[in-house]
Amino acid sequence: MELAELAVKKALSMNATEAETYIQKTNTVRVEFANEIENFKTVESLGMSLRVALGKKIAMYSTSILDESEIGEAAAKAVKIARVAPEDPHWKHMNKRFGKAPVEGYCDGTLETLDYREIVETLLSAMNLMKSYDKRVKPTRGILTISTSNISMANNYNEGCERKETNIEVWMRTKAEEAGMESTGNEHQEARFWREMRFEDLAVKAAEKAVKFLEAKPISSRKTSAIIRNQIFANILGVLLSGPINADWVQKGRSPLSNKLGTRIAQENISVVDDGTIRGCWRTKPFDDEGHPTQKTPVLEDGILKNYLYDTYTALKDNVESTGNAQRPYYWMNPQPLPNNLILKIGGASPEEIIRETKRGIFIEETIGEWLSNPVSGNLNATISHGYLVEKGELTKPIKGAVVSADFYELLKDGIEIIGNDLRNSERNYSPTVKITQLTIAGKD
Amino acid sequence: MLERILDKAVKIGASYADARYQCHDYELVTVENKALKSYSSRRLSGLGVRVAIKEGVGYASTSDLTPNCLEKTLDNAFKAAKSIRGKEQAFKEARINEADVKLSIKTDPVDVPPEEKVSIALDANKAAWISDKINSAVTVLGLSKDFRLFKSSEGADVGVETAQTGLMHDSVARVNGVMERAPYSESMCAGFEFIKSKDWNSFTADLSKLAVEAASSKTPPPGTYPVVVDPEVVGLLLHEAFGHASEGDLVSTGESVLHNKVDIQLASEVVTIIDEGVVERGYFCPFDDEGIKKEKTVIVENGLLKSYIHNRDSASQFGAESTGNGRAQNFENIPIVRQTNYYMQPKDHEFEELIEGIDFGICVRGKGMTGGEVEVGMGTFTFGVGPSKVIRNGELAETVRGVVISGLILETLKTVDAVGKDFELRTNVFGGCGKSGQTVPVGFGGPHVRVRQMTVGGR
Repeated sequence: MELAELAVKKALSMNATEAETYIQKTNTVRVEFANEIENFKTVESLGMSLRVALGKKIAMYSTSILDESEIGEAAAKAVKIARVAPEDPHWKHMNKRFGKAPVEGYCDGTLETLDYREIVETLLSAMNLMKSYDKRVKPTRGILTISTSNISMANNYNEGCERKETNIEVWMRTKAEEAGMESTGNEHQEARFWREMRFEDLAVKAAEKAVKFLEAKPISSRKTSAIIRNQIFANILGVLLSGPINADWVQKGRSPLSNKLGTRIAQENISVVDDGTIRGCWRTKPFDDEGHPTQKTPVLEDGILKNYLYDTYTALKDNVESTGNAQRPYYWMNPQPLPNNLILKIGGASPEEIIRETKRGIFIEETIGEWLSNPVSGNLNATISHGYLVEKGELTKPIKGAVVSADFYELLKDGIEIIGNDLRNSERNYSPTVKITQLTIAGKD
Repeated sequence: MLERILDKAVKIGASYADARYQCHDYELVTVENKALKSYSSRRLSGLGVRVAIKEGVGYASTSDLTPNCLEKTLDNAFKAAKSIRGKEQAFKEARINEADVKLSIKTDPVDVPPEEKVSIALDANKAAWISDKINSAVTVLGLSKDFRLFKSSEGADVGVETAQTGLMHDSVARVNGVMERAPYSESMCAGFEFIKSKDWNSFTADLSKLAVEAASSKTPPPGTYPVVVDPEVVGLLLHEAFGHASEGDLVSTGESVLHNKVDIQLASEVVTIIDEGVVERGYFCPFDDEGIKKEKTVIVENGLLKSYIHNRDSASQFGAESTGNGRAQNFENIPIVRQTNYYMQPKDHEFEELIEGIDFGICVRGKGMTGGEVEVGMGTFTFGVGPSKVIRNGELAETVRGVVISGLILETLKTVDAVGKDFELRTNVFGGCGKSGQTVPVGFGGPHVRVRQMTVGGR
């Protein structure tokens, strides 16, 4: 904290009119595993970024060296760059409102005493479950990352503020082999708390998936109804909606949702919120990366576009209050508006019921490349790496390798037939399983 | 500093230890819609230490270089090594190198005054506004300077210094309600002289034209067609769908589709694939992060799989030599098996010969592409490529947008039936290749290539 305030003072003493520091100290434990534990490492990383304004001229300098002389040099360099930067006519000022939303559940205190050996034991038992599930299966790759971050901020308008947060993520993959046939199974989970991690469930599911998909076959091109599993639709939502609801995209003319506030862009049963305040969610925290309190922001309410997501800069440009969405994906990056936790509101049906009500269609279990979809045009693309045919209300044959193409906005308008009740996250995106009335699939013809 | 840590590591029981120091400067000047959006400059510096004891190998790093913290880092590495209970890692015997290599550059990019960088990026951005169809334009000027020093308890002592500069641009166009974008970049391992040598204003104006053309065009009918793939997509496809599968660590766990396939015909006979550390226009990688020299590795020769690529650990598991492919994103990461410059060797066909026999197909282009993803286990790939051209009756016809190609790499390589004589290789200062949470700069490329069958998605 003292360092953050010191850097602000130094910059002001060099004639900066505004200055803001963001300091991040992260301890990471990272374990990679396959058939055995492959490697284990710990990383202590420090980073500071200093943003300065000279009137309407803005610059930023970052460094991983945090001693007093480097901080002086950082301030000098930032001011030097700002001096030659052209004025930004839209610049008003940095965040004047530091504050904390009353939020709990974003830091797992038990991690401090979590023994390295316990971590290894936990993974070994998950790996053993994969190996003993079926002799055709073996674990082929997995990564567990446990990180604890201390973030402190200060600027010339506010007393400094600090938060400490934890993130745990695991990803694992198995492979099954039999008579020249091969298949894989993946599972992943991201959570704030160690006790919420379901290593064993993930291991069993990954093994089960690999075995089932030994028989997977390509399918022919078709138009068909499709059920999309919760985490996959969460990814799709994140890729296609996060940009367009970002106030910066809207202001820059890059968003297809510009000028659509208050209008219907989706069918009535679709509601999406961004909420940084829910206990235990992946990006829950009391204040954003500019020190502004987080909040719950309705994005789509019963199909009507209600809000864009703002940081301080974009909010001042539109004369509104920031929605507490300033984020720095890395400490050296400028804050930008990004969702905290983007959540599609659940419906009433369980995934089993959705399947039962589907006479013919496909069930999309895993995709790759959904992030290649184009959020500017709304063009949704993904390759199904794992799927099933749905016949007479049951999952039947496993399928693979077909490409999904759709217009995301048309889907939102009238393409979503059923919304499930099984909310699950893929990082910051939360969605239940959904059923799409009709989807175009390019297969093998 | 490094020697002291290594001495101590050996004294308290390490059978092998290495230490890596790095200092990396990186600058990005971002201009959006004719205004400077940000000028970000950063320096990352620190040290990582790896120790091998009989229980395992541990790694720890720190960006705090005070003596106390260095002690703690060494402790952490030992603590990690003791708890691992994992596979025994071996450091395959290798030539111990002493070297100090510097990429030769004319102008140190970090020393160029900020105003010069801002003005180049601003001018390039302004030049992109070619008509009222352009909705948004982002230009980024990037530069990097990287110094790495590697020392080991075996006596290796290798320093490598390199620099990279480039410019990236993305125009968004709207035509009759359809929005399309054309992101693209050009970079080179060079000093600021590379930036000064190019006309970036026509570079961005051309991308705007491409975005407008794409927004005015249709998507291709989904299905399976003959496809001619341009050098950039060939390079990326090989790197992602084949290159990763040839990485020794992924092969040894059985994860890779190339497991147990050496000396087997995996591609048609016209296909030869190389990984090489120093290639013109590629990323400059004379030594890896284990101090091993990176030379030319032939991966596939006339369709036969000849070799995987290795770091010292994977080499020892295969009884092979390290191919100098142990690379780490930075000092915070363990060197894992990574590609350097991965490319397909050119053969003998003119471009016209590649398209002449195709009644209906697509010429797939990289410029404006959005990226790709691969599942190495199966070799399934999917790529969103740039605006491309329909091939009709042996000739290039209209532009199509939103093209996605997809397939299984081993099937695709078998249906390569002709390889062009042209050759292009690229690297990128704005990003690199991701694996296990580490991003490293790479180079990739090849000639134009004809594939008899590829699944194409669109709407």
